[in-house]
Amino acid sequence: MVRLKSRYLLCEVNVSDRSQLLLLDDRAIMVAVKAAVARTHGDYGAAMCSIRFCVKYLNAHTGIVFLRFPKRCYKLLWTALPFITSIETRGQKIPCFLNCLHVGGTIRTCQKFLIRYNTQQLHRMLPKCKSEEEKQQVRKAILSCSLTESKEAFEEDSESEEEEEE
Amino acid sequence: MSAAKVKMREKKMRNQPASVQYPSSSSNVESSTQNGADAPGTGENADPLKGGLSEVHPSTERKKKTPHQSGWVRGHHKDGGGYTKEMPKYITAGAFARARAAEVSAMLKAVRKTTSSSHVFEALPKHMRRRAMSHNTKRLPHRLREVANRMREKSLQAGSKKKKEPAKSKSRKARRRHGNLLLEFNRRQRKNIWLETHIWHAKRFHMVKKWGYCLGDRPTYKCYRACYRAMSSHCLLQDLSYYCCIELQGDEDKLVAALSQLTSKEAGPTFAAALCLSGRRQGSVMVYRAGRYPSQPLGPVTFLWRPRTQGSMHRQLWIWAHPTLKQDLLPELQTVCQCCEAVIPPAAPVEVNPTLEADSEPENTPEAKPVPGTKRKRSRKDATGPPAKKILGDGTRLPSTPVSWRSSSNGIVINDLTMEIVRYRLIGPQSHSVLVDTLEAATGCDEVQKSQTCSLWWPQHCSDEAKMTLHQQQADIFNILKGIYSTAELPSGTVLGLTVDDPRLTLPRKRVKALPCVKQAQEVDEEKRRKLMLEGVPEPCCQSFIWEQSVRDNVTDNKISEQELNRMRSEVLVPGSRLSPTPLQGRVPILLVHQPGKQVGHEMSSWGAGWDLLLPKGWGMAFWIPLVYRGVRIGGLNMSLKHSQNKAAPHFPRDYPDCPAGMCFQEEQEAELLDKFKRHPPAKRTNYIKHGCVAPFRCPWQQLAEEWEIIVQEGGSQAQITAQADAVTEERTSQQAISITKPLSRFTVLRNRKALRLLSAWCRPTTSKGQRPCRVGELPPISCEAVTSFLSAHAMSLVWVHVSLLSKGKPEYHAMLCVPTPEDLKALGNRQGTGGPQEPPHRDHFKSRIKRRKKDPKKAATSSVTPDKPDGKEAELIFASDLDTNASKDPKSFSESSSDLILGLWPDPLPSVASHCSRVTVGWVTQGDFSMSAGCGEALGFVSVAGLLNTLLNQTSEHKGKLLLRNPTSLHYRFAKINIEV
Repeated sequence: MVRLKSRYLLCEVNVSDRSQLLLLDDRAIMVAVKAAVARTHGDYGAAMCSIRFCVKYLNAHTGIVFLRFPKRCYKLLWTALPFITSIETRGQKIPCFLNCLHVGGTIRTCQKFLIRYNTQQLHRMLPKCKSEEEKQQVRKAILSCSLTESKEAFEEDSESEEEEEE
Repeated sequence: MSAAKVKMREKKMRNQPASVQYPSSSSNVESSTQNGADAPGTGENADPLKGGLSEVHPSTERKKKTPHQSGWVRGHHKDGGGYTKEMPKYITAGAFARARAAEVSAMLKAVRKTTSSSHVFEALPKHMRRRAMSHNTKRLPHRLREVANRMREKSLQAGSKKKKEPAKSKSRKARRRHGNLLLEFNRRQRKNIWLETHIWHAKRFHMVKKWGYCLGDRPTYKCYRACYRAMSSHCLLQDLSYYCCIELQGDEDKLVAALSQLTSKEAGPTFAAALCLSGRRQGSVMVYRAGRYPSQPLGPVTFLWRPRTQGSMHRQLWIWAHPTLKQDLLPELQTVCQCCEAVIPPAAPVEVNPTLEADSEPENTPEAKPVPGTKRKRSRKDATGPPAKKILGDGTRLPSTPVSWRSSSNGIVINDLTMEIVRYRLIGPQSHSVLVDTLEAATGCDEVQKSQTCSLWWPQHCSDEAKMTLHQQQADIFNILKGIYSTAELPSGTVLGLTVDDPRLTLPRKRVKALPCVKQAQEVDEEKRRKLMLEGVPEPCCQSFIWEQSVRDNVTDNKISEQELNRMRSEVLVPGSRLSPTPLQGRVPILLVHQPGKQVGHEMSSWGAGWDLLLPKGWGMAFWIPLVYRGVRIGGLNMSLKHSQNKAAPHFPRDYPDCPAGMCFQEEQEAELLDKFKRHPPAKRTNYIKHGCVAPFRCPWQQLAEEWEIIVQEGGSQAQITAQADAVTEERTSQQAISITKPLSRFTVLRNRKALRLLSAWCRPTTSKGQRPCRVGELPPISCEAVTSFLSAHAMSLVWVHVSLLSKGKPEYHAMLCVPTPEDLKALGNRQGTGGPQEPPHRDHFKSRIKRRKKDPKKAATSSVTPDKPDGKEAELIFASDLDTNASKDPKSFSESSSDLILGLWPDPLPSVASHCSRVTVGWVTQGDFSMSAGCGEALGFVSVAGLLNTLLNQTSEHKGKLLLRNPTSLHYRFAKINIEV
């Protein structure tokens, strides 16, 4: 079909101090990416980066970011990402680097990848747990990583629609 | 973004995960509001986070709550709760794991649900989709079927909720069955009466509901010119049965005395005019409220006296009035005749008429039923149902409503004969030949039939020798009509009574055009014809049996049905030959009334003369079809307007602005035109303010008359008029503001014959070519004294004028009649080619106001309550700087009226109507069109007498009576000549 095609980059923000991660917000990341692109690719890159670039999703707890780039020039912009060494947010400079985990054509594929990646992470975490308490928590988390039956979801959906109608 | 779009987006984004981040501190609030267009909002998660922050696992909290308040909200969402500043100090593995888990489940949810989600099958991968899945749920995989079924049911319910199921109607065959069809027709004419020719008209005409009737307005086919040609050279037929007939019975002197209160000799012949009183002519008269001659007119009526019978002073009078006039006229007649005693109609109402079958089969008519018209077998079976009987006469009237009133003191009886008599109008010079062709004087009956005793009226009459000789005389005169060249040759208003055969018997097989046969008729009798043309019909021949109620009822009841007639025709030996002997029921008394054509003016004299055909009710279609088969054109209401326009006669109720019906008409017309105006998109509407047209949809006659009265009182000359008019307007508005209780002298239309004649002479140019200097010498020439004395009597009057354009242009209704300046007239004298002066375009000061209001509705609402000074001042400034308009308005009314502004229309109260434009307005046109008889634009309208005289005084003799005419949608003035025709 005819549409504007984009590439979605699923990146992980890696910081040394994890509590600093919570300071992040999407705007800060956007600024950092733009600055890096401008630095490495000059005006041309900055211009590329100003069109249809946005931060679609940011989870400050896990440090997962979805970046949207135009498909035409995503490679160029991608090359600038390793040059980000710090993100300035709320008056603080957080030293960090972005690690690209996945490149997808739609958000949906990125989401699917993220699900797989996260569950994998959790599974890896489980044997490394130090205490029993931790183990329990991780186990619980793994168990909660699945949705209930789709039927229920539909019902929920239809109910909410009814509400809307009324 | 519009609300619908927001809603759609919300629905789409409902399942998408939102960013999870701590709200930025207050210093960053602005920056987050400035988020890019696609950046997701930050605020919506504030609520779950706040809960989560005290504990260490905010995301799980978030997960719990997201289903409830999911969706992306753009920008900064303030009501998400207060912002928390502090951050957790440490992090544990459990929290780490929970955060991952929460993210996973959020992502899972997003992935599992597709965005548009209104159909179940969208959850399926593409390769599993099947055709018509939404209709046939069996095409879905089993696991989705249940959900799909439920959703389908729901959508079906929603559909039925919106569309109410229509009541199950009978089959077409059942509906079209005759009895049912009649029932349906009777139901449909409960509100608006149908004429007898309704169905014929409804198939061919645009029908309008007017005055309580369903009337044909104009044909659906193109025939404007053809109808005009028919009127001027052949014959145009109209059904005027909607005119109301009121019958007065009583002694002659008492009737005349009573009716004289309603009329005045000054306005022309009254009810007591000798020719009319004898019954030989139909008269027309203007009726006023009793004793209120000049001030309170009601409207024009025509009347017809029944010729005297020997040795009796008891007379019968029919007054024909327009339906809008009837409701005013009837109470007035009752008061002048002192007829307040309603005669309750007998139990079986007058309008009920047993049919032919009912007569022959008396067991069919149950006496107790209110309408004994059960000629259908079906209705005999189910007698409880409403009878399927065609309603003749006035169907909307309750059977118990009184239709006649009797006076105990002077013995006058008033009968309301509405819809009792069918009236057809034939217009055109050949209408007599159409009549002669269609109608045939009734044949007598032979001895055998005479000897039979039956209920029919004609055999009884045949046995009376005197009646037969009268009939013979009438038939002779009717035959003389054949030899007449044009209908206009007869004296106007001639009446001829006649009894004719059923015209259906002589129906031609093909439509033919009735043509005069002068040659053949010349041999008949030159002498008799000349006598008819000079003197009209002798008095005894004006008698007709249609005047008698019993005969009318008899004829109506005994009409042969179409079906019966066809059966009889089919039994004739030679197909297509005439039925002989003529069935006894087929004799109808009729009345032919000559209608005068154009009576005023010099050109086209007696154009549009014709005959009116009066029939007893029930016979409408029986005469209509034969007339149509004689090649006449049929006209509707539209054509009757054009007819009166070409005749230069005022058309009721349009051209009677001082009558109650006329005022009502004006209001209706204004509402209609305004509605039409508003239906256009604002950019496509004419801006009447810019055209300098104060009232495009109505004519504020009262205001015009008042303004001119004051202008003249102060003795204004051309130059001063405008300045004075402003003062006048202000004065008037202030007067209105202060005391509305002040008794207003209402404007009237000048109908005084003498005064009209004087005016007519004054506005005729004295040195015109080709015009006879007729009778001017006897009248006083125009001078200041004469004018002042004239104005003292008729200052608040309007006068009916006929306007013909000197050059191009097609006048429209509500066009302005203005006074030319001396320079204009000079230009006209120099070069004929110049079309006329131009009105400089005006400025629309209300436009900005409307715009402002549109932009800021709240402010406008408040400003309409509190008078905003700066606005008023600003407007005043604009006014002052304006070049051409001297229109001034006080700021008070300006701000008041802001609530009901319509772009391009002046809000109430209007500014000075007389002096709004560069040329002073004296009147308006009420009907105008390109006149095909004159070959130029012609219009009819009213001008203020005061304004007209003022103009005439200042004009030189060669330009006397020249005015300017300007259409509401144009800025171009055209020179026009006015005539007052008496």
